[in-house]
Amino acid sequence: MDPLLLSLFVLIATIAVLFSGISVGFGLIIVSTMFILWQDGVFGLAVIPEVIFGKLDSFALLSIPMFILMGAAVASSRAGSDLYELLSRWLTRVPGGLVVSNLGACALFSAMSGSSPATCAAIGKMGIPEMVKRGYPKGVAAGSIAAGGTLGILIPPSVTMIVYGISTETSIGRLFIAGILPGLMLTCLFMAWAIYSTWRQTEGVVVSSIKYTLKERLELMPKIVPFLLIIVFVLWALYGGVATPSEAAAVGALACVVLAIVVYKMWKPTVLWHVFRDCTKESVMIMVIIGASGLFSFMLSSLYITQSLAQWIIDMQLNPWMLMLMINIFLLGAGFFLPPVAVILMAAPILLPIIVEAGFDPYWFAVVLTINMEIGLITPPVGLNLFVINGIAPDIKLQTILWGSLPYVGCMVLAIVLLCLFPGIATWLPTFLMGPAV
Amino acid sequence: MLQYVRAVHALSRICGVTAAMMIFASVFIVCQLVFMRYVLNESTVWQTEIVTYLMIGATMLGMPYVQLLRGHINVDLLPLYLKKAPRKVLFAVCVLIQISACAVIAFYSAELFLQAWDGGWRSSSVFGTPLWIPYLAMPLGFGLTVLQYTADLMMLSRVDDPFLPLTHQPLQPTTEGER
Repeated sequence: MDPLLLSLFVLIATIAVLFSGISVGFGLIIVSTMFILWQDGVFGLAVIPEVIFGKLDSFALLSIPMFILMGAAVASSRAGSDLYELLSRWLTRVPGGLVVSNLGACALFSAMSGSSPATCAAIGKMGIPEMVKRGYPKGVAAGSIAAGGTLGILIPPSVTMIVYGISTETSIGRLFIAGILPGLMLTCLFMAWAIYSTWRQTEGVVVSSIKYTLKERLELMPKIVPFLLIIVFVLWALYGGVATPSEAAAVGALACVVLAIVVYKMWKPTVLWHVFRDCTKESVMIMVIIGASGLFSFMLSSLYITQSLAQWIIDMQLNPWMLMLMINIFLLGAGFFLPPVAVILMAAPILLPIIVEAGFDPYWFAVVLTINMEIGLITPPVGLNLFVINGIAPDIKLQTILWGSLPYVGCMVLAIVLLCLFPGIATWLPTFLMGPAV
Repeated sequence: MLQYVRAVHALSRICGVTAAMMIFASVFIVCQLVFMRYVLNESTVWQTEIVTYLMIGATMLGMPYVQLLRGHINVDLLPLYLKKAPRKVLFAVCVLIQISACAVIAFYSAELFLQAWDGGWRSSSVFGTPLWIPYLAMPLGFGLTVLQYTADLMMLSRVDDPFLPLTHQPLQPTTEGER
């Protein structure tokens, strides 16, 4: 059968299986098994365990559970509310200070926890009620946290970036560094919109009258700064090429767990078990999808789908920017329904050769892809962050959260446009720090 | 039936704790590796391989536990759209498909394990781990996931929403009585 026609069948089967409610990992295994059976018969099935095992048999993958553990330790502690409190004390005199400090707290906490829903929950629990109490519109309060939470997958260390690095065989340290400036740019765009929308809706900027003494401003520093130092240390070890991601992440994870025990007195076995249970749950879920996606790519390339699809797109000789637009629309569509990790694992190995052939930088593309995935986190039907906010602030209607979040989608699209116009935003810092990519 | 479900849930929890302990152990082993390599400047032989196999073991053994917690992420558009009864039917169909896939992989990975056992296969590194040990995790993990799925099917009549974890919803009384 023509591989292109076959790829259509695979696409339909994948959509049908994934939309039935079957989990993403097992769904990919089922689709792959079906097509392997169809192609090679029963004898083909014997290869499946070896392919899954082979995909997971990599020391680099260990960085995923390690970074998740690092984030789980931070997310289960009171670090989120302390960080929130710290920033709101420092930024109290800034016009619209609370929403700005909330977004700042989201950006920092997303670096510490590496997870979007955890950031939304940790900062939102304190931030949303406080903002509503001080007269910010509910939509602004909920929307800014939902959007701020999405920064978790862009600002390093980010599990999403690690997954991209592993599935495309690009340098994880370089990917992390590439995410820093776009992450800051996106944070600034979010802040600008938050200040503007507050000003427009309340006809005047909400300025807090509460004043804090220097002592009050400094007293929370010793709790938060060590966590930030760990992140800086991990990034330094990575970009300096001192250690591999798994080594840096394991040391970071141990340090974060020890800090959580010492600073937040999380020494009770039940509390520690919650950290490990959350870490195990998320790591296993992601690792199963990784193993399954290994089988999925194996099936695609043994049916010559990957190669034919790439050749077909190259033969069309599209304008590179037209191609990029189409890829963005595709990613956006996939991100509406699927979790970022699944989209990256399925799409990145197929898209990367096409992207590189068209002359784009793979690290720049990682950033564009990640921002696309961030959009999916705050848009229906499965916008995870919207539901997290809905869970922690039940008195705000889902509709209000959604309308409050939508303008931030505009900010992200603007960020993608800016990245296309000025690719240096993503590529300059890695080149400056690590030299040109090989 | 209830006893079977309880036994399977207990097994899944044991797997979950084992997986968590494997991840915990990896943290220490990698930190030991870092200490050996960067502080003592000594070469390391076994650590990289062992932690990779621990991670594979944690993934495989963690599968039934994560299913118990309903932690395997899915696209829940269709389940959310459906009413209670059709949602249960959909769950049953999904679970039956997943049971067959897991059973197929459990069977073929058991075969791989037996081959590695009989042939005395070892990893290609200097350390040369006997490969049956990491291979064993696959038939165990997929096999126990099949058991967990059958337990989920048995609980179908007693839950409101089978797509949610049991701990998040009240259980309907059973006709055979709580034993």
